[in-house]
Amino acid sequence: MDQNLEKIKTDYQNKISQITTDKDLESIRIELFGRNGLINDLFSKIKDVSPESRKQYGANLNQLKTELEEILKNKSLKVEKADLHSLHNKNNLTTTSLPKIGHLHPITQTERQLNEVFRKLGFSIYNSPEIVTDDFNFTHLNVPQNHPARDMQDTIYIKEPEYLLRTQTSAIEAYLLAQKSKELPLRAAFPGSVFRNEKVNRSNHFVFHQYQAVVVDKNITIKDLIGTMDLMFKTLYGPEVVVRYRSKYYPEVAPGVGPDMQCFSCRGQGCPLCKYAGWIEMGGSGLIHPKVLEMAGIDPKSWSGFAFGMGLDRWTMAQKHIKDIRTLMGGNLAYKPNEL
Amino acid sequence: MKIIYSQLQKFLPDLQVEPKQLRDDLTMIGHFTNFFEEIDNEIVFDLDIKVNRGDCLGYYGLARDLSVYYNLELKPPKSTIYDLRSNYCLPIKVTTDKVKRVIAVKISDLKNTVSPQWLQTFLKCHNTNSINTIVDLTNYIMFLYGIPNHAFDTSKSGQDLIWEINSKFKEFTSLDGSKLILDNKILMINNPQKALSLSFWGGEACAIDSNTNEIIVELAVYDRNTVRQNSRQLKSVTEASVRLEKDLDPEVIPQAFNNLVNLILENCGGQISSQIFDHYPNKTEIPSIEFDPNKASLVSGIEIPQDFAIDCLTRLGCEIKKKASLSRGDVDSSTEGFYIQAPSIRKDISIEADLLEEVIRFWGYQKIPTNQPLVFKEIQDITPKEIYLIEKLKDQLTSLGYDEILSWPLVNSPTDQENVVTTQNSINSEAIYLRQSLTQSLIKQLDQYQRFKLPNPQFFEIGKVFSKEGDNFIEKNALGLYHYNAEQLQSDLKKLDLPLVKEGSREIDNFIEIIIDDLLKIDKYIPQAVNNNAIELTSQIITLDANITLDTKEDPINLIKKYSQIIGDKNLWQLIVTDIYHDTKTNKYRYTFQASYFNLDDKTAKKIHLKSFDLE
Repeated sequence: MDQNLEKIKTDYQNKISQITTDKDLESIRIELFGRNGLINDLFSKIKDVSPESRKQYGANLNQLKTELEEILKNKSLKVEKADLHSLHNKNNLTTTSLPKIGHLHPITQTERQLNEVFRKLGFSIYNSPEIVTDDFNFTHLNVPQNHPARDMQDTIYIKEPEYLLRTQTSAIEAYLLAQKSKELPLRAAFPGSVFRNEKVNRSNHFVFHQYQAVVVDKNITIKDLIGTMDLMFKTLYGPEVVVRYRSKYYPEVAPGVGPDMQCFSCRGQGCPLCKYAGWIEMGGSGLIHPKVLEMAGIDPKSWSGFAFGMGLDRWTMAQKHIKDIRTLMGGNLAYKPNEL
Repeated sequence: MKIIYSQLQKFLPDLQVEPKQLRDDLTMIGHFTNFFEEIDNEIVFDLDIKVNRGDCLGYYGLARDLSVYYNLELKPPKSTIYDLRSNYCLPIKVTTDKVKRVIAVKISDLKNTVSPQWLQTFLKCHNTNSINTIVDLTNYIMFLYGIPNHAFDTSKSGQDLIWEINSKFKEFTSLDGSKLILDNKILMINNPQKALSLSFWGGEACAIDSNTNEIIVELAVYDRNTVRQNSRQLKSVTEASVRLEKDLDPEVIPQAFNNLVNLILENCGGQISSQIFDHYPNKTEIPSIEFDPNKASLVSGIEIPQDFAIDCLTRLGCEIKKKASLSRGDVDSSTEGFYIQAPSIRKDISIEADLLEEVIRFWGYQKIPTNQPLVFKEIQDITPKEIYLIEKLKDQLTSLGYDEILSWPLVNSPTDQENVVTTQNSINSEAIYLRQSLTQSLIKQLDQYQRFKLPNPQFFEIGKVFSKEGDNFIEKNALGLYHYNAEQLQSDLKKLDLPLVKEGSREIDNFIEIIIDDLLKIDKYIPQAVNNNAIELTSQIITLDANITLDTKEDPINLIKKYSQIIGDKNLWQLIVTDIYHDTKTNKYRYTFQASYFNLDDKTAKKIHLKSFDLE
């Protein structure tokens, strides 16, 4: 083989040896043996070779072609073996030819939708520790020791009575108000995991997800609260959603407002899903209680605010037709790898 | 709680709304009503009563609310006791301050039989078994007024009743035969020889039966925290404990008591054979609240007439006093408005916000428009930087084909026993420790996927991991990744462009975990949150290079900040360092900058560029 052809062989030998995927191997094959590939190009140049050397050149070229084909074939077997080895070892399964599509968790998707609504209104997105003190989870939210409202939530304690896993995203609100009491006005929304000491079964879990938003400003009204909540519900559930707002009690707000969505299953007629009420409770809200502001070091005579929170799990389950709450945080929530 | 429509009408004789309407109205004013049903020709509503409305755990309190909402006259049953001729004083003692008020009387010569049909039906609608007339009437009065009460058969209990914190008795048998172990903190009604009753549960030792012909009947309100603690300690919840844990009004006791005594006399015959015992040591003063009726409009955001606010509070039973009229020349607005005293039954009203809530809920939340949200307001962005980073990572990972999973932050085994954070009271044996590693969760997830024979799993989680350092609890955001192809995982990781901290990352086979909070100088790697002010481009962006030679090595980020300031924000589109060269011969460092300018002509841009980098 002449020097040029020898060099081509060596170069491609090195190149091919570094290939790890079928795709790259195919590219090289086309580069060498395609209609406009290198080998065809070299054969087309035979006419330029002197007649006395033409025969030898042709023989050398054929040798190069055969050797490169052999190299490719051997590599092809190795790559295939490697792929199979990998697949068999890891999964014992086959590959797919379409590119894999990644997915955000449905809870994250809902959080993103809500974050977008609130960012457009000038809200920051916030978070705080999940292990909190009793103060932030209860006392600073107007729920002192022995208050019956504590019975609404079964608490998981880390170090009773001081440290616990937050039972509500209102704990983030208390933390936020304390941190930013001198940086008013304030608009913040926060998705977060919360914990309750409940047995895990199809309907209950010890960890679930809430979304909360807080505003502290001058002259905030219930009309601001209801209008903003309604915008949120319409973004999530569509413009046709029917939501009513009614009196509701939460110790950290006064007045308290409860949003109920007309049952999407029976359209208000009453069914097992809505316990025959025709409505589904969607969370809690209200104007921030003056004592909560005071405890955060904010003067309630100068500042007012609203807060509302809602659970994300039930809605996500209904949306994705998930019947078992454990699926949301367990191994049987999966996604189609390709969507046509 | 169950409410029978016809019974409600006894308090509100003019109440005529359709049951469906009543259900919706009750809900709108705060008493969520799930449904109504027909039981033995009675319409029965199922309500959730708010935890701060102990007064509404009886028909009386609920009827008070509805009388305001529908503007109807409230007519509670007449309840004057006429037959009070005995001079006998009951030898009752109250030795604890946990009793807020107790009223008791002895009734003799009774004939206790099966309850009349109306009473049996009433109790059936309240999911309560009928026992006998006396017991059923005590339950009836509890449902009517929300005040628990009790009748003692004096042939078993004697008359020397003592309200005390238990110190003598070790065991108590309740009316249903449950045996409870007592300690020294339990509020009880005993006699010198026997444990008779808990504050919230009657005892077998003095149970009323068909032979009972003399009773001491009592109504009481206790320190609610004591009842709550006792109920939890003894793991016993009763209709009485549910009520006594709330802030009940001792002022309601006489009315409920008289009603009960009259009903017993009417249905069981007999006569009152003692004076009425009334222990009420500390009458609670009702606070006077400053109230400005204008605020109903200011707080709600809609016009609510002042007259309505005052009328509403009047109908609620508030005492209303106008503030002193303005003295001549006095323009202090604080003298406008009212002083309001809420009725004693409304323990939930203590500040002006509570009064405003009353006015607004009776005016109606449905009158507040729903189409006027807050409008955008430019406020300082307080979003923590790691939230932006997490959002960015999630986007990048899904674009690389990874699926996001969420797993249990509580696990059943620690990875590092020494520093694990342990829950004290988790009722799930699989969820005792706060996870120390996401890999732990991802492995569990992979097991599940393999169980489902899911092909080519490729997933990630971003969540908290926890540890303990001395008395401090540490929690950090972490990223966990799994890919079925380990080489691809490494390749993807490079694409994330993360400044990895070796100590914070761990690799096991096809898993990688990165502690996000440990990434060096997070702010360097994430876009700063800015208000996206749009720029109208009027000419091509001009990009110019500049070489700066320095004697010492500098942080390129600091150099970018420095020269950005020198160039100024007005026309600088972007400034980046494209090359750093160390000349070992001269031991100097050459930094190559690439500055892009917008809305400038070539000449001006070049002039600014040369001047800023001192290249003239």
